[in-house]
Amino acid sequence: MKKITTSEKQTFELAKEFAANLQGGEVIALYGDLGAGKTVFVRGLAAGLGVKEIVKSPTFVIMKCYLGKKLNLCHIDAYRLSRGAELAAIGALDFWGKKNTVSIIEWADRVPELLNGVKNLIKIRIEHLGQDKRKISFPLL
Amino acid sequence: MLILGIETSCDETAAALVQIENGRFCVKSNVVLSQVKIHARYGGVVPEVAARKHLETIIPIIKQALGRISPKDIDAIATTTGPGLITSLLVGIETARGLAFAWGKPFITVNHLDGHIIANLLNCRLQIADCRLPALALVVSGGHTELILMKDFGKYKIIGETLDDAVGEAFDKVAKILGLGYPGGHAVARMAEQFNLECRIQNAEYKLNSAICNLQSAFSLPRPMLNSPDFNFSFSGLKTAVLYLVQKLSDDERKKLTPTICAEFQNAAAEVLVKKTIAAAKKFKVKNIFLAGGVAANCHLRESLGQAIHDNLIGIGYFVPELKYTGDNAAMIAAAGYFKYLKKDFADLEKLDAKPNWRIDEHC
Repeated sequence: MKKITTSEKQTFELAKEFAANLQGGEVIALYGDLGAGKTVFVRGLAAGLGVKEIVKSPTFVIMKCYLGKKLNLCHIDAYRLSRGAELAAIGALDFWGKKNTVSIIEWADRVPELLNGVKNLIKIRIEHLGQDKRKISFPLL
Repeated sequence: MLILGIETSCDETAAALVQIENGRFCVKSNVVLSQVKIHARYGGVVPEVAARKHLETIIPIIKQALGRISPKDIDAIATTTGPGLITSLLVGIETARGLAFAWGKPFITVNHLDGHIIANLLNCRLQIADCRLPALALVVSGGHTELILMKDFGKYKIIGETLDDAVGEAFDKVAKILGLGYPGGHAVARMAEQFNLECRIQNAEYKLNSAICNLQSAFSLPRPMLNSPDFNFSFSGLKTAVLYLVQKLSDDERKKLTPTICAEFQNAAAEVLVKKTIAAAKKFKVKNIFLAGGVAANCHLRESLGQAIHDNLIGIGYFVPELKYTGDNAAMIAAAGYFKYLKKDFADLEKLDAKPNWRIDEHC
């Protein structure tokens, strides 16, 4: 499915609605360039999962986890990584597939080898179409 | 009183000895080994490589920091236990735990950001007891952007923080957008300084704005949350605004305008940081303002915050760390540990653990 959003708020709301369909255990691979709107999407997702804390960029620490009312969120950023194996080293994989947790990986294209054979994998792509217009492609749940 | 500090929270392996003499922090040794070049080869940080490198170098670095000092002369070991990369933190913690056990010394857990704040007092002429409180700290680095109210040393409250990217991270990402490499925050700052310098020279020579300086007004970047009533920040949108701008330019134009864009980006980021810091200082009636963290090395930010304090506030002190203590180091960790030493706030060697997401307002 493809959706076009024309504001940050719409992207946020779209992700929030998407979160309503999640059951827990999903691993979301998020694709998109710098400034595509990935962080906004993750914040919407977090709101949908009932996360109260502020969701900040995990680029520096690579992984941040949040407790949510509906489900917990494990937010990973592969931007600074050179290989997928590095995510295993910091214990990120421990959260993947956990029934009470949704994992989301920004810059998933940097760690393709790690996504092979992952159960409940959902791939979402965000493209910036110019100005405030964005195309978000995701599978139906 | 002599404290050994150990710091391995990210890409730097560091050990230092700090003595408390006449009520001042006196740095006896400060050894820092940066892994930045190692990680640049991989085009990003590699947590496992970072941890291994810490492991290889930590003992020689501690030995070097100790020099001729015997372990029996040390009063305590202060170590960063968070926030940071868990694999990196663990190397420092486990090493310190071993030393504390073998030497029979107390182990003090230190929050990395607390260390950055206390870096302001290293080799400072002022006695620690004369530093008036409450104070406000603006902590800016690659991973953090926080306004912290210090009611006392070790007693902190986060009154504002970034809602998305840290300011140092925005510098790095703008560098990437402009093709200056990653991490390239320093390159952006250098380009901006160069632009500002050229402007000043040209203005002085011709007594009028040169063409290149006028370009700056040709585009202005947003100042996100500049007028929001809280003390929070947002830098993700500023980075995206740079991206939109660059997308409209040809390669040639981009190259030509890169210094101008860097200068305008730096102005925008600093303006928000400075304005919110001044507003918070007024609201909480603080007596001193501390600038802290890796981005505290940024000349423009150091100057513009100093100028704004001078122009807007009366009788408020302004602390900036010496440049060599803006980056990660262990002297700041040893010094921050001193305040916990005074309260005999020591960690249980059997229970202590890494806290990768330790917020400075939580006690650990």
